[in-house]
Amino acid sequence: MTGTSAFFLRREDLVPLLEELAETLEVVAPVLVEGEAAFATWRGGALALDCENPLASPMEFFLPKKEVLFRYVQYSGRYTFSEDPPRARLIFGMRPCDLQALKVIDGIFGADLPDLPYAGRRRSTIIVALNCTSPGEGCFCRSMGSGPGAEGGYDLLLTDLGRGYLVEPGSPAGVYILRAHQRHFEEADPEDLREKERLLALAGEEIIKRGPSLNPEKIREAIDGVDWEEAGRRCLACGGCSLVCPVCHCFSVLDQGVPDGERLRCRDTCILSGFSRMTSGANPRPALGERLRHWYLDKFVYIPEKTGLFGCVGCGRCSRVCLGEVDRWSLFKEAAE
Amino acid sequence: MKMDRSKKEADANGGTKIGRAAGAKPESYLPIQAEVVDIDVESSNTYLLSLRPMDEEDELVAVNYSPGQFLMVSVFGLGECPISIASSPTREPLQICVREAGKITQGIMAARVGDVLGIRGPFGNGFPVGSMRGKNVLIAGGGSGFATLRSLINYIADDRRDFRDVTVVYGVRTSQDLYFTSEYGSWQAAKIEVGITVDMMDASWKGNVGLVTSLLADLDPVPGTAALCGPPMMIRAVARDLLGRGFIEPEIYISLERHMKCGVGKCEHCTMGRYHVCTNGPIFSYDVVGDLI
Repeated sequence: MTGTSAFFLRREDLVPLLEELAETLEVVAPVLVEGEAAFATWRGGALALDCENPLASPMEFFLPKKEVLFRYVQYSGRYTFSEDPPRARLIFGMRPCDLQALKVIDGIFGADLPDLPYAGRRRSTIIVALNCTSPGEGCFCRSMGSGPGAEGGYDLLLTDLGRGYLVEPGSPAGVYILRAHQRHFEEADPEDLREKERLLALAGEEIIKRGPSLNPEKIREAIDGVDWEEAGRRCLACGGCSLVCPVCHCFSVLDQGVPDGERLRCRDTCILSGFSRMTSGANPRPALGERLRHWYLDKFVYIPEKTGLFGCVGCGRCSRVCLGEVDRWSLFKEAAE
Repeated sequence: MKMDRSKKEADANGGTKIGRAAGAKPESYLPIQAEVVDIDVESSNTYLLSLRPMDEEDELVAVNYSPGQFLMVSVFGLGECPISIASSPTREPLQICVREAGKITQGIMAARVGDVLGIRGPFGNGFPVGSMRGKNVLIAGGGSGFATLRSLINYIADDRRDFRDVTVVYGVRTSQDLYFTSEYGSWQAAKIEVGITVDMMDASWKGNVGLVTSLLADLDPVPGTAALCGPPMMIRAVARDLLGRGFIEPEIYISLERHMKCGVGKCEHCTMGRYHVCTNGPIFSYDVVGDLI
């Protein structure tokens, strides 16, 4: 078995393969939770692979909404600290847009002064990605260059060919899985690779057919022309967009417990009014419109300056949850092609 | 020897226009423990705390920093907040100046000698002390913003001949709010011109009353490089005044204050446009942030 070739996994072999992997790793996969597809620890049974990409992105397993940074225990005025080691985990079914989000976060949390909790999880997570052959309604990954086919960033890449999956390794860890579980895999037929290209091209056309695409360069130029004060009046400041965005990563830190306790890190969002407010009461971005503008500037100007990648991956989740019509479709109609 | 090394560190750390955290290592969010070894009362609501790292391996933290850098200070159970370093790396101990503002600063001020605080850092770029050498230096502070400038003033005082004319102007609300009053004499002895002013007159005050800019009119500093820290209104007024005197925007350095949760450019609380005040700052030159403050 060589590292560069492609393989075929029969449909009925997927669950047995995951069962084997789950013997040594926590396997996270899209499953139905109360009728909705969500990434969760897989405990056997059916996978929710024929649904739209779950609203809660798998970034949760790299930057959890709430995590313990460390525990402190006091003994006669001195402290001892403990941190949890990262868990060995495999994420199955991660879509190309979310893979792109991971690359963006690598450029922020993995660079300069690396964020150790993130870096630890990144190192101990195996990614089995799934190409998007049936994109969701609000997806515009094609405009953002993040899909529907994945380019790198995975250990294994699957493409659903109907009767089974085309499997391509993207890292030594991926090759190792193919070797260790080789009884489930057979060499792919060259026709399977052509079928993959055909399906991805179809998916790309499907995305275009569903609606105008939003050129990120045009959005960037359009930001200054938006009436942000007016947009601020429509926005409900619920923070829903940030909660579902796989690139949003604002956080807050707080302690719980005296004299022993935990220092927690929780998701936060720059959309909320108190986000930048100082103890003195001074607030550098008091108006909601200003905060919305900052949200878009960060994704389309500042993050690209820092990482070379757009801070929006075209997953469309923010539009799915926006109740105030301040999502990109409403704000940047003119930037649509 | 210590002073020479600190000087080199400080010169190497500070000064990049858009710098990054200097002494900080890639690390987790675990603080080191520092013992409070001394507490001075600077004003009714401000204490100067001297800290000593408890573990030998952390000792360098107490000298490896630049004037203008800050620490994330923890009171376990209450949380962590950014506090600028008030001491100079040329002098031990490491000191922070804390004014009562919220629950964490109250927690820091409730500490007694022998108590333990957590510290992470130093973070931020610091003043460009390397490029300030050989120049006239004007230092202007307002209110509690003076704490970070005291680090720079003592740094300059300890290496005085490397700098040309040095002028300090400092304004506070009332004479009760003045910090570091016992040190003004030593600064003057080091040939640093010191001007102090208060907003509100009281019986014990015999000095100037008025804005910091009124001191500039009196002292008439020669153009060179400037370090500013204080309320935005004061910063704008002083910067405008200095530009009128022939100072240039890239030589006016401003220390900014923002809400922060991480200190390492991740949490996004301190963003100011494209900059993170924690890693790109907190020292910015006026040409970079003039229209943002």
